[in-house]
Amino acid sequence: MTDSETINDIIRGDKEKFRLLIEKYQQMVFRTCMGFVHNKDDADDLTQEVFIQAYQALSKFKMESAFSTWLYRIAVNASLNKIRRSAGTSLFQRIESLFERDNNKVDFFSPVNTEDPESIIIKQEHSLWLKKALDSLPENQRTAIILSKYDDLPQKEIAEIMNITEGAVEALLQRAKKNLREKLMGDGRKKSKK
Amino acid sequence: MNCQLCQKNLDAYQEGRLSPDMMTQVESHLETCDSCKRIYNIQLLANRVINSEKETGVNTFLATRVLAGIENLENAGHEKESFTVRILQPALITVSLAAAVFFGIVLGNLSRPAGNTDKVPVELALINDVSLESVDILSLE
Repeated sequence: MTDSETINDIIRGDKEKFRLLIEKYQQMVFRTCMGFVHNKDDADDLTQEVFIQAYQALSKFKMESAFSTWLYRIAVNASLNKIRRSAGTSLFQRIESLFERDNNKVDFFSPVNTEDPESIIIKQEHSLWLKKALDSLPENQRTAIILSKYDDLPQKEIAEIMNITEGAVEALLQRAKKNLREKLMGDGRKKSKK
Repeated sequence: MNCQLCQKNLDAYQEGRLSPDMMTQVESHLETCDSCKRIYNIQLLANRVINSEKETGVNTFLATRVLAGIENLENAGHEKESFTVRILQPALITVSLAAAVFFGIVLGNLSRPAGNTDKVPVELALINDVSLESVDILSLE
């Protein structure tokens, strides 16, 4: 059954068919959200929000582009909105979320994990270091690099999702990589000075 | 190979997308250039972090959670609708009726002729016998 057939069935009232679309695209949406928020719980909540938004707007989907492209657009917008919202939260909430973020990393200590605590801590530090660098990029550069690195999408598809030309995507990716490298190197230098 | 060319090709080198000849050139440059080697190591580390985030699995019950969320939203919509039907609609009808009666009275008062004062007709004076037989007089008796 194709996506458009499933969508038509859902619009006609077969709500349960939406489960097929969720199961097919959940990992894809989750990965994109993860690239923006870097936190499993937040990415889970965002993925849920994305699918609910998609269901509510399904009748407006004109099938001019692939369903995945449309879903990517919703995921990118929802993620950016979430980041904008959290940027406006109070200092207290930010401190609280930092602690929550640390709690989420406890899974590194799960019995399945055979790594020693030191390497786990180093891993966490590296993770935060990358997140900080990615978050410092302008929204369009961040979107392009996340779609490229986290979702392994070709420039053509990124262009379609972001509604820009392939050339613009290439320029964005180059700038993003350069800025990211500078940021990562800068932070690395600061770390080594300490 | 110079540093600029090496750094330009680092991504492709890492992903094994370069020709064998270019791969060797980048490799030998990295062995001799500390600055490029450092950039390469940082890039490697960043990609490792990205890959570990990519490997994180989505919540197993996501589909059920989404469908329950949709159901809740729709139920909330119906509740809103039933509130409108059960309470708001009768209240609006009552208010409309009261308004209709009020405006009816106002309009009725406005349409009364201006000269319609309480004049006592002449004939009424003839049958007005109050002065002839006062109730006070009768009670005194």
